[in-house]
Amino acid sequence: MKLIVAVLKPFKLDDVKETLKNLGVQGMTLTEAQGFGRQRGHTEVYRGAEYEVDFVPKIRIEVLVDDGQTDDVVDAIVTSAATGKIGDGKVWVVPVEQVVRVRTGERGVDAL
Amino acid sequence: MIHLVGAATVYSPYPSWLNPADNTWQITAATFVGLMSLPGLAVLYASIVPKKWAVNVLAMMFAGFSLVLVAWVLWSYKLGFGSTSLGGGVHNGIWTQQPATGVNTTGTWKHFFENLWGKPGQILNSAGEQGPAVSAANTDIPFHFPTSTLAYFQFVFAAITPLLFLGSVLGRIKFSAWCLLVPLWSTFVYSIDAFLLWGGGYFAQEGALDFSGGYVIHMSAGVSGFTAAWVLGPRLLRDRQHFLPNNLVMAAVGAGILWLGWNGFNGGDPYYAGASMAGAVVNTNLATAVGVLVWIGLDAWFSKEKKPTFLGGVNGMICGLVGITPCAGWVNGWGAIMVGAADCAIVWLAWNFLSKVRPFSKVDDALGVIYTHGIAGFFGGLFLGLWGDPNMIEYGCGTLNKAGQVVNTAGSVVASNSSYLAGSKSCTPFGVDGLMYTGSAHQLWEQFRAAIWVIFWSALVTFILMKLIGLVLGGVRYKDDILEVGDLAIHGEEAFPEESFATRSDGAFALAGLGESSSPPPIGSETSSPPDAAS
Repeated sequence: MKLIVAVLKPFKLDDVKETLKNLGVQGMTLTEAQGFGRQRGHTEVYRGAEYEVDFVPKIRIEVLVDDGQTDDVVDAIVTSAATGKIGDGKVWVVPVEQVVRVRTGERGVDAL
Repeated sequence: MIHLVGAATVYSPYPSWLNPADNTWQITAATFVGLMSLPGLAVLYASIVPKKWAVNVLAMMFAGFSLVLVAWVLWSYKLGFGSTSLGGGVHNGIWTQQPATGVNTTGTWKHFFENLWGKPGQILNSAGEQGPAVSAANTDIPFHFPTSTLAYFQFVFAAITPLLFLGSVLGRIKFSAWCLLVPLWSTFVYSIDAFLLWGGGYFAQEGALDFSGGYVIHMSAGVSGFTAAWVLGPRLLRDRQHFLPNNLVMAAVGAGILWLGWNGFNGGDPYYAGASMAGAVVNTNLATAVGVLVWIGLDAWFSKEKKPTFLGGVNGMICGLVGITPCAGWVNGWGAIMVGAADCAIVWLAWNFLSKVRPFSKVDDALGVIYTHGIAGFFGGLFLGLWGDPNMIEYGCGTLNKAGQVVNTAGSVVASNSSYLAGSKSCTPFGVDGLMYTGSAHQLWEQFRAAIWVIFWSALVTFILMKLIGLVLGGVRYKDDILEVGDLAIHGEEAFPEESFATRSDGAFALAGLGESSSPPPIGSETSSPPDAAS
């Protein structure tokens, strides 16, 4: 099993979500996040005072998948989230030792 | 409840001197002005400070408003608006030193001190609340409402003034220091300036004018806040570097209440529901609209970011409101446009450039009250001397009957406006002779003298009060470890608490025997199909 983590542009969420649903992904977790990479921050002005904001609003998606599904899901996220402009984000995959469904106690692939 | 009684007895809710329209408008206007403080200014200030300071601002706002009212009815209303002065220059509403003709223009120190301050006293007995309002300022036209109406109307002005300069001192002043400062400041600064300019004191007798408080309220608040901020020292460095507003939508709510509340602020100050009132309301809105547009335009074209900012628009709104306040009913509509544009442009320049020059660069006036109220009020008062239109009549000529109608000497209601506008040997309609209309700089000079006094007195007394309070409380600012936390350390409250993170620890509901309201369903008992599966 793998955990796919993607940090993406917020306005791409609908596209990514629909693509994953069509792939048969059962669930995902979404967090509003702030981050920076090569995309620079921005300036905000309040009452004439300038503030440098190094972080840009992002969404962070987490999806648990079976090993065989991993490449398809990663490809789907990358394709649906890409704009070709700087700041599109990153997707990474980490191995998962165990998954348990809290309600039933099912373990492993059954719990996905 | 009204009891029907025999025809021989006739009840009346109206004393002979009371006019229901004037009384209604005055209390309505007062309520509008009260709403400017609570919630208007409270919400505006609480939402343009960081989250950690919002509750502290709200608490100081509500406490300050309350403190001023208690002091007001016990002693300070009469300090500001009593009919007799402490020095004896004003006696039972009469200026005893006024020459037979015209206004005394040769001020002396004796004249000054005898007309400095009203004789203090409470207004809580039946005569104090229901008797006719009398002040040394309105002897030519008697008020048409009771003392409680005038006292409440003037209270909401007295209350908002220290709340305005809360913007300078927030983010470090002790709550206890604030609670001492407000009633003392109201007594020793506000009441004196109010008597001098409005209550029939020295500057009123000399001819200085302030329609609704460009000097008594705004400039005084700006200078006092700046002085208090200087004594206090700056906010924490981290706070200054991260002073972001927590909610611009709520800032819009507060700002909007301030703007429309100002209809009562300037519309109430003629004291009568007449033509001057209506003109003042339109002028107020006009200058404000122009102020908003000018600031946004200057931001968009000349600021470093070249963006039209909303909070810049709010600054422009306040500059327009403050600038027109001393002029409201005494300039015409063109004058109102000029006041809004000029005042806003001056304050914009001061905000962006003067702020980099000493002493402005060395004093941490947190919300910049010295600019949007101090400087805006100073120039607004001068603009009255410039653009006051003698044909904008606050009080025309004629005698009023009990119903408030203008009557001629024979006692019949005047059909035409001729005597109201043109006056007679014994009466000149009251308007202001501005330089642009009359070529006379006299009014401008009177305005300037009064301005210098208000600046001097506000700075001096605020400095002394802050030092005294510091001696009593062992310092006027919180220690850094409290400032680092803010609301939670001072009040034990957060502006935006998270219910999931907090559990009641005092056991109050368990003691009440309420127990569990319902048991959670056992695991596995939920239906297998979600609700929408049926459709």
